[in-house]
Amino acid sequence: MFSLAAIVIIFSGPGGWLSAIIVGLLTMLLLWLAGLAGRVVRTIIQLLAPLTVVLFLVHGLFNPNNHTILLELGPFAIGKEGLAFASLIMLRLAATLAASLLLVITTHPAHLVQALTEVGLPHGLAYLLGSPLLLLPQIAGRIQIIQAAQQARGLETQGNLLQRVQALFPLVAPLVFSSLVDVEERSLALEVRSFSAPNPKTSLNELVDTPVQRIVRRVMILMAGVMLAVGFWWRVYSGY
Amino acid sequence: MVIEINGLTYTYPSTYNPALKSISFQVQTGQLVAVIGPNEAGKSTLCLALAGLIPALFHGQMQGTVMVCNMDTQQHAPGQFAEQVGLVLQNPVNQLSGMRYTVYEEVAFGLENLGVLREEMPHRIDQALQQVGLADLSERSPFTLSSGQQQRLALASILVLEPNVLLLDEPTAMLDPQGSQDIFEIIQKLVRAGTTVVIAEHRLEWIAQYADRVIVLVNGEMILDGMPGDVLSSPVLLQAGIGWLRYTQAAKRGQTRGLWPANYPLPVTLEQAVTGFQQAGLISSEQENNDADPS
Repeated sequence: MFSLAAIVIIFSGPGGWLSAIIVGLLTMLLLWLAGLAGRVVRTIIQLLAPLTVVLFLVHGLFNPNNHTILLELGPFAIGKEGLAFASLIMLRLAATLAASLLLVITTHPAHLVQALTEVGLPHGLAYLLGSPLLLLPQIAGRIQIIQAAQQARGLETQGNLLQRVQALFPLVAPLVFSSLVDVEERSLALEVRSFSAPNPKTSLNELVDTPVQRIVRRVMILMAGVMLAVGFWWRVYSGY
Repeated sequence: MVIEINGLTYTYPSTYNPALKSISFQVQTGQLVAVIGPNEAGKSTLCLALAGLIPALFHGQMQGTVMVCNMDTQQHAPGQFAEQVGLVLQNPVNQLSGMRYTVYEEVAFGLENLGVLREEMPHRIDQALQQVGLADLSERSPFTLSSGQQQRLALASILVLEPNVLLLDEPTAMLDPQGSQDIFEIIQKLVRAGTTVVIAEHRLEWIAQYADRVIVLVNGEMILDGMPGDVLSSPVLLQAGIGWLRYTQAAKRGQTRGLWPANYPLPVTLEQAVTGFQQAGLISSEQENNDADPS
């Protein structure tokens, strides 16, 4: 619930920068308390570094709101407004990623599915949301096998950008087709374990839901709602 | 009869040729029935039909009736069969729910779906893990197990539902010899305990050793049904492209050279082959003694 509320506030809260910074810092504080701050920061840097370079270049050079020129390099001019806009996007993305990773790293997928089912989400939909979290390592393993198999048949997966792009289809196509075949077998395996039986489900593990957790969840929903409304009001009156 | 199939013909959607043609047979409680045949013979389709997944999940055209544990598969939803019929598939990894961190929790998945009470679960899970020899690995992640262990986990995940009929669709296809032997030994214990097992399998040596009965499918048709000794040494298998076991081939060649007793049936297991060749050796040495001692 914290992650969802955080994402709502990051994108719709008042002040633009201010909402993203406050929520981002709060998320980092929680990650630090959980001993996960270093790991999450490394992941965010790895994921966002390439996008950061592209965004800063595109907005710095071509943003139509660029009026204040910071640097001129021959025919190219880097604008302050574009850089500010790119920084805001990156800040929001980083804060969103941190809030999402807080959920993914600290929540057992089975508990997530169980909790979602208990609040009324259909069993199948809850499974759809939760299962990829555990199946990702399996997909990563398959990618490595496909890559090795294609390399053994002479496919160049290293080298310049063009070679890598050319290698993409022979790698992605087998992954998609084999995954589709697996989906059928997996659905059969689930079916013979009564996955779609209409009876009420039970659970091996009892879900711990303390009064404090319930209160915090409600506070989060309230905060997200208030921030959504305040953010809307702020945008209308500030003309942002 | 725990299984009764009458005139089953099934055609998959968007295909013209039936995958199964006029299949009829019955299976008694506690039998281990092996279904053999070349690829595309209809073995997997038969397993899916017995599990109640055909036609419910695949649609297509079905004629005839399939009764399992007195339940008509066309009259019940697939989920209703789980406590009566279990199905284990080829690929061990694809049978993991992908939702559980430990082997213990993975086995519980089916019980949770059936709505079994939490207090009842530990006993059933422990029993299923004991049956497949995974009790010591109950706290391991299912994804860190070997293929053989994962297949035993898939089996435990079905056994915990306590089905009367167990269907296995080439369960050893991805396993090494030791993993295959482990699976067949577990199956043998289950059959002795009264479970009815139908197994689609390519490896004839395991079938010869463990099955009570063998059914041969070719192009969707049932061409043979009988005891392993009779079916696996039948010339029909050669015409169907399934072939014979090495022991059977060796004895057949030996027959023409006097190395296999003329009145002995062709062997399908190592023990039968050893006994037959020993007998042929005794007859041969007796003949030599008689030739050397004309008195």
